[in-house]
Amino acid sequence: MSIMALRLLLGIIFLTVVFLHLTKKNSGAVIAYSVQSLAIVLVLFNSFLETGRVSLLFVTLLAFVVKVILAPLFFVRLIKKNGLRFSVSTYLNIPLTLIIIAAITAMAHSQKLAPLVNIVPANHALLSLALSAMFLSLGLIINRKGALSQIIGILSFENSIIVFAVFAGLEQSPALQAGIMFDLFVWLVIATVFMSMIYRHFGSLDVTSMRHLKD
Amino acid sequence: MDTITNQTGLFVLLLLFSAGALGSLVLRKHDALSNEWSGLFSIAGSLWGLFFALSVIITGHDVSFAVETAFSPLFSLAFHIDRLSAFFIFVVSLIALFSSVYGIGYVKHFYKTYSIGVLGLFYNLFIAAMLLVVSASNGIFFLIAWEIMSVTSYFLVVYDRNDEGNIKAGFLYLIMTHAGTAFIILSFLLFYKYTGSFDFETVRANAALIPLTVKNAVFLLALIGFGTKAGIVPFHIWLPGAHPAAPSHVSALMSGVMIKTGIYMLIRIFLGMLQPVPIWWGLTVLAAGSVSSLLGVLYALTEHDIKRLLAYHSIENIGIILLGLGSALTFSSLGMPSLALLGLIAALFHILNHAVFKSLLFLSAGSVINETHTRNMEEYGGLIRFMPQTAFFFLVGAMAISALPPFNGFFSEWLTFQSLFKGIAVPDFSAKWMFILAAGALAFTGGLALACFVKAFGATFLARPRSPEVAHAKESRLTLRAAMGALAALSFLFGICSGYLIPFLESIGRDLDAFRNTPSFVSVSPEQSITAGGGFASVSAPAFLFIFIAVFIIVSFTVKYLINRSQRVKIGETWDCGTDLTPRMEITATGFARSIILIFKGVLKPSIQKEIEYNDSRSRYLPKTRTVILGISDVYGSYVYKPLREMITRLSLRTKDIQSGNINVYISYIFIALVIALFWVL
Repeated sequence: MSIMALRLLLGIIFLTVVFLHLTKKNSGAVIAYSVQSLAIVLVLFNSFLETGRVSLLFVTLLAFVVKVILAPLFFVRLIKKNGLRFSVSTYLNIPLTLIIIAAITAMAHSQKLAPLVNIVPANHALLSLALSAMFLSLGLIINRKGALSQIIGILSFENSIIVFAVFAGLEQSPALQAGIMFDLFVWLVIATVFMSMIYRHFGSLDVTSMRHLKD
Repeated sequence: MDTITNQTGLFVLLLLFSAGALGSLVLRKHDALSNEWSGLFSIAGSLWGLFFALSVIITGHDVSFAVETAFSPLFSLAFHIDRLSAFFIFVVSLIALFSSVYGIGYVKHFYKTYSIGVLGLFYNLFIAAMLLVVSASNGIFFLIAWEIMSVTSYFLVVYDRNDEGNIKAGFLYLIMTHAGTAFIILSFLLFYKYTGSFDFETVRANAALIPLTVKNAVFLLALIGFGTKAGIVPFHIWLPGAHPAAPSHVSALMSGVMIKTGIYMLIRIFLGMLQPVPIWWGLTVLAAGSVSSLLGVLYALTEHDIKRLLAYHSIENIGIILLGLGSALTFSSLGMPSLALLGLIAALFHILNHAVFKSLLFLSAGSVINETHTRNMEEYGGLIRFMPQTAFFFLVGAMAISALPPFNGFFSEWLTFQSLFKGIAVPDFSAKWMFILAAGALAFTGGLALACFVKAFGATFLARPRSPEVAHAKESRLTLRAAMGALAALSFLFGICSGYLIPFLESIGRDLDAFRNTPSFVSVSPEQSITAGGGFASVSAPAFLFIFIAVFIIVSFTVKYLINRSQRVKIGETWDCGTDLTPRMEITATGFARSIILIFKGVLKPSIQKEIEYNDSRSRYLPKTRTVILGISDVYGSYVYKPLREMITRLSLRTKDIQSGNINVYISYIFIALVIALFWVL
């Protein structure tokens, strides 16, 4: 796959994160996550084609099953079961969110972080973008009040880490990848069960309802 | 002796206490058996400890070895027992021996109430931990031993858990001891930063690499950290509560020995590891000693709880020990090693003496409490008729702590005085005045201590019983009397034989690098006359013994004559309506101390509450009873610890705001931390 295609995939990942910041519908967030995960799978598949390692193919297939099929299905089922069509409000409004996105992206491209994104000098621009996606995913978790979009934010953060690792040349370690996948899978199951329990207990997935838990 | 002064000798010592601890726990369902097992092994361990320590002191063969561990190269089970360590092992073992003998009889009153096995476990572990503390030569290993000592002593303090006061005292002790440990850890971390090791020998060898400002910081941290354990004012607040709360034979160990482990480390660090030191270190220690000795005895005077009174006297005596140590540090800084050695000898001698007479007093007090079931001296009185031997032992302890010749306390205080008097002649202006103040404080302390023990002995043993429990009191059991008797004999012997002991103490001091080949300032004549500074002052224990015996015989015969002479019966006017003498006519402990307390009311801040009950509440002319309650406000609690606690509480509430309960905020913290870390590292 050419570098242009990889750039395109990374651009999609980055844009899905931005879209996740802007969307109000939970179904839109799930679709964006699916697209993002598919892009990740394609990036991993490209690594397999370049290295020819069977273990990487296994990881790619696992990622496809978990991230592109199972996770969205879980979320869709949850949305239907609990009637969660719309995501709850954000802390920041849309214009302010866009300003923050621009600031975070600029920060990720700053000279101060150059040693980090210069791990593979050829992929400097791609790594900067992956780093932006990581920061933006964290920003998504912070800005959203709904538990579902927060969980998608965490999953998006993990996707960003994976893509950063791939472009940094760390995808050669299948054990690491399998570990991430396994962790993701287990986390997904636990998170779903946990969310169901939260909904049953509070009648809402708005995290502000859980504040009194701190005492 | 060489066959003992090796690692096997030390392991046998620790093994005996470990066997005592574990065996006692295993036999916990059989109170008597558990008690005997614990007592037997602690006695055997103490005897072995005495033998081991004396072997090291006499032969001068250091026991040094390390057991490497897999945890970290920085941590090893490193032991180094030189003469100084051996001296402290000797003191620990000596007091543990008599406390254990006493404990066999004393613990019986806990049967069927509390677990004797648990007591035996913590008691033996406590002694073993103290031995480890003075043997360890690796900072991390030392801290582990220090922590075991603190935790085991905490469980001993709260052993009598049915008394809520004991639980509170234990809690305060636990907080204070851990606050002190935090300071100690900081000082060790500074050692590590500049020498790259936690090993005491390495730190000593590389002490020159530590900048002076860091050394100063270490001095303050160590003084606070170890001073908290030693009970230096104002870090003493745990001591008057915790020592009385523990069973009496444990109180003897805590007050007689445990607090000295703090002093041991002050000597080890200031005189052993960080030499040469600035002069202000010595002056600060002198100031701390003066304040502690004076305030300790003043607070003791206000007490009517016999064990709290003794606990405050521990603070006083730690102050006296610090006067010796402070002199040693100051003279060392001024380039006067002989005088510095004199100060150290005075401190070491008082450590030994205080351990003996304070243990004796705590054990005697324990016997009294065991019979009367109260610690309030106002409810005692006349116990000399019911417990004559205990009264005699307490009297010996009281005379020793009051520094009356020929008992041991006199000779160590005499040496301390010589050290302070010689300090007055130094050219340094600030040092000269500090020595003058310290000598004045010590003189004052001696007088007040005597007054305090006149009160304590008089209120406890003389006059008439002031409560029904006293009238039912019986003399203590044989093991209790044996332990007290042995300690009383030692108080006497250490005084009479002080001339023999001083060369031993000098050899311990000379084991430190700062005093190697230092000529002695004290000489002992063949007649056992001790002379300081080539005729500056001298004292003779045998002469004092002769005078003491002569005075004793004269006074005894005179009193006997006065009592037995034929007296005429006089018939005259009745007085006080002819009523019989009652305990209400006696002067109480509070009444005795009242005038002294009022003299020092500026320091002690006493509160007097008077209550009058009238026969007829309408016409207030005929009072039925008058009650005076003399209390002392908790100055340190009000002005130091309460504001500190309030500040910490406010800070904690502010900190709680960070814990908002909002997931978004928590993720924000992570994000901010990540960005800061990235910008910091890259």
